[in-house]
Amino acid sequence: MEIVIEVKNLTKIYKSLDFWKKDTYTGIKDVNLSIYKGEIFGLLGLNGAGKTTLMKTLLGLLQPTTGSIKILGSSINNTEIRKYIGYMPELPYFPKYLKAYEILEYFADIFNIHNKRQKILQTLELVGLKGNEYKKIKGFSKGMQSRLGMAQALINDPEILFLDEPMSGLDPLGYKEMRDVLVDLNKNGKTIFFNSHILSEVEKICDRVAIMHRGHLIEPVKVSWIIKKFKSVESYFIHHVKE
Amino acid sequence: MKSVLAVIEYIVKQNIRNKMLNVLTIFSIFIIGFSLAISELAQESEIRMLKDFGLFSISLLSFITLLLSVTIQMFEETELKTMHIIMVKPIKRSEYLIGKYFGIITTLFINILFMFIVLMLVINIRGSDPWELKLLLSVFFIFISICIISSVAVLFSVIATSVPGCVLFLFFTYVLGHLTIHLKKLVAHSENTVIKIIVDIIYYVVPNLELFNLKNKLETTYGLIEPSFFLFIIIYAISYISIILLISIKYFDKKEFF
Repeated sequence: MEIVIEVKNLTKIYKSLDFWKKDTYTGIKDVNLSIYKGEIFGLLGLNGAGKTTLMKTLLGLLQPTTGSIKILGSSINNTEIRKYIGYMPELPYFPKYLKAYEILEYFADIFNIHNKRQKILQTLELVGLKGNEYKKIKGFSKGMQSRLGMAQALINDPEILFLDEPMSGLDPLGYKEMRDVLVDLNKNGKTIFFNSHILSEVEKICDRVAIMHRGHLIEPVKVSWIIKKFKSVESYFIHHVKE
Repeated sequence: MKSVLAVIEYIVKQNIRNKMLNVLTIFSIFIIGFSLAISELAQESEIRMLKDFGLFSISLLSFITLLLSVTIQMFEETELKTMHIIMVKPIKRSEYLIGKYFGIITTLFINILFMFIVLMLVINIRGSDPWELKLLLSVFFIFISICIISSVAVLFSVIATSVPGCVLFLFFTYVLGHLTIHLKKLVAHSENTVIKIIVDIIYYVVPNLELFNLKNKLETTYGLIEPSFFLFIIIYAISYISIILLISIKYFDKKEFF
């Protein structure tokens, strides 16, 4: 199977923000990971375990202290590679006086998307925001902002989608709709890498999962294997983090 | 190039949509109206006072607009983490920063233009010529000085770790920028070498904003400012802005987003 994300011996050590930068903190340590084309991969972990650090390092928002990362065979610092990537942060925020259409237009221009109007309307429909194109963000609920966050991540029709807690801020109906969107995208060949606390959703949609615990990555395993061995992802998760 | 234009458009849109800027525009109208009331008290130099007060208001309000714009943007970029989304898109960090700078100065240009039009209207109503070259040059140089302080604002927004820190440093730079030339004159006869060195460092590092205050420099033997002086301050402005933006880009390229 084709590897689309390859992480080797990745370590990220934070320097403290004080003037002398003497104190350090290890965010993630010696992480090795391969993500295959077309899979949905879930990264689980307690708060502060290093999930977001790993995602931000993969995306180039943080620089690795040691180790290497390859996305689609290249470095994330290569702007060309970023044309094939979508990223949705946890609880995305957008300027409240702008309209949904204007936000997506901005990103569409950065991707140099032709026929952007059609693409923007299609994407808004895909995430369930049809009819809200010209509504200002200040009138959006948390869930609607999350959907807009998803829309900006999908505007370029990415090969790989990075989602940081995509279910955050959504109601139970929103969970289902987001799940449907992710499953549909996966059916169209997209690779999805996401962090989540909501283990029941992870169990429903992921092909493989890995647990991040105290900065270390526990070997990724197939969800089908977890179900056979532990009955649920929750049991598997608790088994590892309580050790 | 298209990415840079997209950032410029986004920043301008965001600034103009922000109610803070609308309030400032209304405030500028109020200030210029107020200057009209003052000018009626001093009958002899009515127009002169009106122009001085109008130019002072434009200069101060455009700086306050810059402060607000930087505060709002930096708050959204760092505290609300909007920067995380944009940094993952196929845009170079240098392109984003240049777009941001030109977005800010485009907003300020619109702001200054609007205030100046109001001032010209008031001058016209008071029976004087609003198209006077001296007045146009003064406003032009206010805009150039704002372009310089905007580049410093971009640098501080990249370096500073907190919004209040950035705003505070920017405010002090603005004040010092207007004082350095006077400080240099003050310590010229001092025998304390340490003070002289400190003032020299401040003088060359902090932008010399008083260069752009043309109030006392306009009248020369040429009728207006000397062409060599005009050229000198334009070259100074371009050089200063370029150096500050290059430093900002250099720092921004290595910046991490926590």
